Amino acid sequence: MNYNWDWNIFFKSTGIGSEIYLDWFVSGLGWTIAVALVAWIAALAIGSVLGVMRTLPGKVLPAIATAYVELFRNVPLLVQLFLWYFVVPDYLPEATQVWFKQDLNPATSAYISVVVCLALFTAARVCEQVRTGIQALPRGQSAAALAVGFSIGQTYRHVLLPQAFRIIIPPLTSEFLNIFKNSSVASLIGLMELLAQTKQTAEFSANIFEAFTLATVIYFVLNMSLMALMNLVEKKVRIPGMMGGAK
Amino acid sequence: MIRFNNVHKWFKDLHVLNGIDLQVAQGEVVVVCGPSGSGKSTMIRTVNQLESINEGEIWVDGKNVADPKTDLNALRAEVGFVFQHFNLYPHLSVLDNITLSPIKVKGMDKAAADKQAVALLERVGLAHKKDAFPAQLSGGQQQRVAIARGLAMEPRVMLFDEPTSALDPEMIGEVLKVMKDLAESGMTMMVVTHEMGFAREVADRVVFIDHGKIVEQAPPEEFFKNPQHERAQQFLRQLLTPMS
Amino acid sequence: MRFTTRLLTTAVIASAFAAPAMAEGTLDKIKSSGVIVLGHRDASIPFSYLANDPTKPIGYSHDLQLKVVEAVKKQLKMPNLQVRYNLVTSQTRIPLVQNGTVDLECGSTTNNLERQKQVAFSVGIFEIGTRLMTAKTSGIKDFPDLKGKNVVTTAGTTSERLLKAMNAEKQMGMNIISAKDHGESFLMLESGRAVAFMMDDALLYGEMAKAKNPGNWVVTGKPQSFEIYGCMLRKEDPAFKKVVDDALKATFKSGEVNKIYSKWFMAPVPPKGLNLNFPMSDEFKALVAKPTDKSAEEM
Repeated sequence: MNYNWDWNIFFKSTGIGSEIYLDWFVSGLGWTIAVALVAWIAALAIGSVLGVMRTLPGKVLPAIATAYVELFRNVPLLVQLFLWYFVVPDYLPEATQVWFKQDLNPATSAYISVVVCLALFTAARVCEQVRTGIQALPRGQSAAALAVGFSIGQTYRHVLLPQAFRIIIPPLTSEFLNIFKNSSVASLIGLMELLAQTKQTAEFSANIFEAFTLATVIYFVLNMSLMALMNLVEKKVRIPGMMGGAK
Repeated sequence: MIRFNNVHKWFKDLHVLNGIDLQVAQGEVVVVCGPSGSGKSTMIRTVNQLESINEGEIWVDGKNVADPKTDLNALRAEVGFVFQHFNLYPHLSVLDNITLSPIKVKGMDKAAADKQAVALLERVGLAHKKDAFPAQLSGGQQQRVAIARGLAMEPRVMLFDEPTSALDPEMIGEVLKVMKDLAESGMTMMVVTHEMGFAREVADRVVFIDHGKIVEQAPPEEFFKNPQHERAQQFLRQLLTPMS
Repeated sequence: MRFTTRLLTTAVIASAFAAPAMAEGTLDKIKSSGVIVLGHRDASIPFSYLANDPTKPIGYSHDLQLKVVEAVKKQLKMPNLQVRYNLVTSQTRIPLVQNGTVDLECGSTTNNLERQKQVAFSVGIFEIGTRLMTAKTSGIKDFPDLKGKNVVTTAGTTSERLLKAMNAEKQMGMNIISAKDHGESFLMLESGRAVAFMMDDALLYGEMAKAKNPGNWVVTGKPQSFEIYGCMLRKEDPAFKKVVDDALKATFKSGEVNKIYSKWFMAPVPPKGLNLNFPMSDEFKALVAKPTDKSAEEM
């Protein structure tokens, strides 16, 4: 194949101001991390609350959480993103609508939409992990906590959740990595994250393979670092005398 | 201290507790025994409402536990409970297992709670294990920690639900000894157990329950020497010759 | 780092394997296989797109592409030459031409210097100007009116680069939205997120024709650049390039191009029967009179 390889392309000018192509990748990576991290923190918080709700006694709260999970897990991510970006804003009050669509920097409004979208989507998946973690604990644990006078809240806070989270670190790690990969949907509403910058570089420079190779390497290194980080966390919270985690 | 008035409980169609009437006085040690499935574990769990009841009343220290207005958390804080399977918190050290509830429920400060916990661990002979985690202890040691955990709330009553039946035989003695010491210190105790030696030696009264009903209660000597009820006789025969 | 090296090695090996197929020219390849593979787009209206038959593209560029096929048949004396279609996207079109999957791509591909490093271009088949579409009531007449405004363009296009460069050089303080395709760019404009949409004028007319109320919109502004669309083929294949160029030049010279142009730009086109009403520009007329395979920036 007579492809014209040029690995120096990343250091060449993009023709816009004094930017080189590498700058685009750096800025893209910055957006990717900003989207994924913020969405992850929100997803973890919302998902944990929902996961706890699914294990509570009674009917109403578990039913609400179950409905949430079914809704957000079964609608494709892309459809959700378009709803959050194009449809939902149209139902805001007139003044907020104008502010969101026109006054706000377009990158900011796209950022808000994609963070909300990814957070709510991932929360449904975190919820299921948290629920599984809690249900995997022996029933005696909650009985023991209640027997010394803990409220339901204290029982979850001090006894059930610390154990459940230890059990689910591996599946949570994979959700954490997924949110980074899923953050690439942001490119579809014009947020210039890593994938968008890669495509743009490919289009502008016509050095398609170099651009996508660099993106692959960046995603790979990013995911490996996150995995190493989570392994570290898992080791740090491992319970002495037990293999792997709490059971 | 504890009073059951005509207590009934059903699991679907199963009538687990069928009109229980029982009183336990302050400082009294009552052993509850009976064949498996007789309802004895359910009965002891109703005292601190780990199991709810459908009918009747249970009074603990002057409070009706089945009354929705009763603050269950406060009540449970005064009633220690020891489980068959210890149920220590595996993610916490022995010391933290004991101090968690005094700190979180009673608002005790950490230093005082630690001091109290060490004293309790000395009492159950495990002071040297305070930094160990539950998974690093034997079953007998775990159960002794669980007793210390119950005592840390300074309860007025201690309930024991088959505390030795999950233990290897060589560890039963150490747990029973701790319980005996506790009884001698004047603690009000209700104990579900098959350890008839313990009953004979420590209990003030033995309660025999079958099919959700108390069919016989008597001081241990009387109960073991001369059981009145046919099913109690049969139960004791089986316990003494378990292989038959 | 070791991973990077391995990845690069893999890419290089893969390209080495693909290479032997290219040792022969495209004409030889077509002759020995009896098939010519045409690259086309799915939604570049009215240049190359799919309408009623999902297996066969239609459009202005496609009609010209078929002229080339006729010439190849004649040249190789293969009246029964088979035509196979291969859908390409803006990301795949260059590699697919390079690795021999596609022999000739005619769609809406701008001839520029970056791409000339990778592929060869036929003589120009169309010329556009990059302009603005805006609401008739917006008060925007030309590019200077865009200061401090939200402006949308389609990601990966020349308009995007021009707009960003203009914003940087003239410090216009525009917020530039890069939408994923022309349809979405227009949606941004229609929903009020942007006051103007910068793009190739022919494509702007295409979007306008699709709008709910075409009369609400206007194409305006001085063209910021002219771009020449060309058909893409492999580099260093003069024999095939000559056949392609000659076929196109003949179509221009005979005036047949005017008929094809009218069919796609001045009359209703599938699938919705839209009429783009986009008369031939002076720039394109000049190109037809004097065909060239140079990019607009070289002229």
